[in-house]
Amino acid sequence: MFLTRSEYDRGVNTFSPEGRLFQVEYAIEAIKLGSTTVGVRTPEGVVLGVEKRVQSPLLESSSIEKIMEIDHHLGCAMSGLTADARTMIDHARVTAQNHSFTYDERIKVESVTQAVCDLALRFGESVHDEDAMMSRPFGVALLIAGIDELGPQLFHTDPSGTFVRYDAKAIGSGSEAAQSELQDKWHKQMTLQEAQILVLKVLKQVMEEKLDHHNVQLAQVTPTVGFEILDEVRLKEIIDLM
Amino acid sequence: MPDGSFAHPQQRQFNPYSDNGGTILAIAGADFTVIAGDTRQSEGYSIQTRYAPKVFRLTDRAVLAVNGFAADGNMFVKKVKQRLEWYRHAHAKDMPLRAIARLIQTMLYAQRFFPYYVYNILGGIEEDGTGAVYSFDPVGSYEREACRAAGAAQSLVQPFLDNQIYFKNQKAAPGTTHPAHLPLSDVLSIVIDSFTSATERHIEVGDGLEIYVVVAQGRSPQGLDAFRGAQELSTQPNGDRMFIIRRELKKD
Amino acid sequence: MSIMEYNGGSVIAMVGKECVAIASDLRLGNQALGISSNFQKIFQMTDRIFLGLPGLATDVTTLKETFRFRVNMYTIKEERELEPETFAHMVSSALYERRFGPYFIEPVMCGLQKTHDGSYKPFIAATDLIGCLNFAKDFVVAGTASSKLFGVAEGLWEPDLEPEDLFETCAQTLLNAVDRDAYSGWGAEVYVLTKDKVIKRTLKGRMD
Repeated sequence: MFLTRSEYDRGVNTFSPEGRLFQVEYAIEAIKLGSTTVGVRTPEGVVLGVEKRVQSPLLESSSIEKIMEIDHHLGCAMSGLTADARTMIDHARVTAQNHSFTYDERIKVESVTQAVCDLALRFGESVHDEDAMMSRPFGVALLIAGIDELGPQLFHTDPSGTFVRYDAKAIGSGSEAAQSELQDKWHKQMTLQEAQILVLKVLKQVMEEKLDHHNVQLAQVTPTVGFEILDEVRLKEIIDLM
Repeated sequence: MPDGSFAHPQQRQFNPYSDNGGTILAIAGADFTVIAGDTRQSEGYSIQTRYAPKVFRLTDRAVLAVNGFAADGNMFVKKVKQRLEWYRHAHAKDMPLRAIARLIQTMLYAQRFFPYYVYNILGGIEEDGTGAVYSFDPVGSYEREACRAAGAAQSLVQPFLDNQIYFKNQKAAPGTTHPAHLPLSDVLSIVIDSFTSATERHIEVGDGLEIYVVVAQGRSPQGLDAFRGAQELSTQPNGDRMFIIRRELKKD
Repeated sequence: MSIMEYNGGSVIAMVGKECVAIASDLRLGNQALGISSNFQKIFQMTDRIFLGLPGLATDVTTLKETFRFRVNMYTIKEERELEPETFAHMVSSALYERRFGPYFIEPVMCGLQKTHDGSYKPFIAATDLIGCLNFAKDFVVAGTASSKLFGVAEGLWEPDLEPEDLFETCAQTLLNAVDRDAYSGWGAEVYVLTKDKVIKRTLKGRMD
């Protein structure tokens, strides 16, 4: 009568008798294999940091893109199946542009996050004769950083389409150690520079290789400049400050 | 043909538009905005009703006046209100004035090839607390201004406003400059004068006058006390304040 | 296209306290194209009568001469000065003579009418292009900016203005009205007629 667990594994839109969607849960597991990604919110802005796994000395590290701009005031870092993030960020960018086109104002951080999460559960079978857009859940988690009228904010989204706001959050393979380190070190009145250093220190702790300006990337969202990825020169300066 | 034959070419036509007359007007002050409209609705030489509002409260700080084809105007306001409700649900806040202005543009332009036959004037308080007026053409071209008249008596009222609000063709006394914004009491007098003048000389204007006053948060509605029967519409105890003043206009 | 819009132009006349004013723009155009900024539309017919002729420019020239001729003939034949009200009827009948082939002019006139006690009473009048008279008590307007003139005048005018105040009211009304009319503008002139003098002022305004 009951299907075995492995049979429930197959349908992306079939609940198990215990009320679980295994494919979604596995997708969340998949993120834990991704590279470590950290986000820290301060009153001065939000800092994002990622580890870039340079698997080969022949690999051009600058071609690894794990932090992307969504809009002038919004940035995003990812961990997991980064190819899936393209779909989500594309959607986020379109949503943000549509918002400013229609309302002549910048979209709120929570609103883009919501828009991205609305996509997350659109996998599965098609309705009527429509083609199914996606066959499986996204295998990626995002840290969405931005500034709006409510100030600097950091959101975390996962493949189940759930999103939560954080003061500081780590995702990916080193996330457990990184998260407890963030919990220890984060405080309310952190400066942007303190946040940059914290992000790097946390990444350094969980990385196997020695941290340098080739294998990490830092980005930030500030009220004055908006989103920016820090170039290698500035990154080096901050690494030297550690 | 009367005999039911189709011996000759025939033509029939349906005109989906009509003009229901009336006039609207808005003036922005430094920290307030006044939006007004008469209440006569007419078609040709007939008065359909002496009380058909053309000015509508959208949010706590935004008021929209709609003039032209009344059916289109009413439907347009309905749709704008619906979009504002959706926005509230999606973004957990009231839509700011400049966002409403942009939304109205996109909604009007969406009907570029079968337009809403309406001239819109949006008034209220901007996010920085200043009074603002936005005026639109039927297909969404828009602009922020200090004052604007539209509708049947636009040609009568607008040059009067140029003179009284922008001080056009007037030279300031030596060593002084014209004020960028007038006090509320002056603005209200100009609004009432504009409508009594328009009523006097235009057959489609008259019956009643509705004046909305929006005053920025923390600013006193000074000059309003002199106006009998101003009714407060504010919903929040210490947000922006909104009032409505009703006046009779000549009915002939 | 209205024939009034072929050359453009506007005139207004107002009543004051023992004085009258008449003002016009100075534009002559060929539809949207501006031709001259020195085209007079107001003419002094007698010591106490002014006539404004907005409309088709060729008829302005013709009617100006026609009325000069008729006024002179009247003065010579009657051996007395022509009264403004009489002049208004003269204008009216001259235009109605051309009932089915009219001059494209909407005349506006003003003057000081002699009363029985020997004092002067302000007089204004206007007609349509076939001579239907309108004796208003406050102000009369005509030309391409007429609706604008009505609006501003209705807002600015008040009874019993002294000559200088009447000048200002009349000038402001005209200037602000023609600034919103593409067919009128390019300068203006204002005449204020009192019992002992005529004040003529030429105004620049915005010349676009």
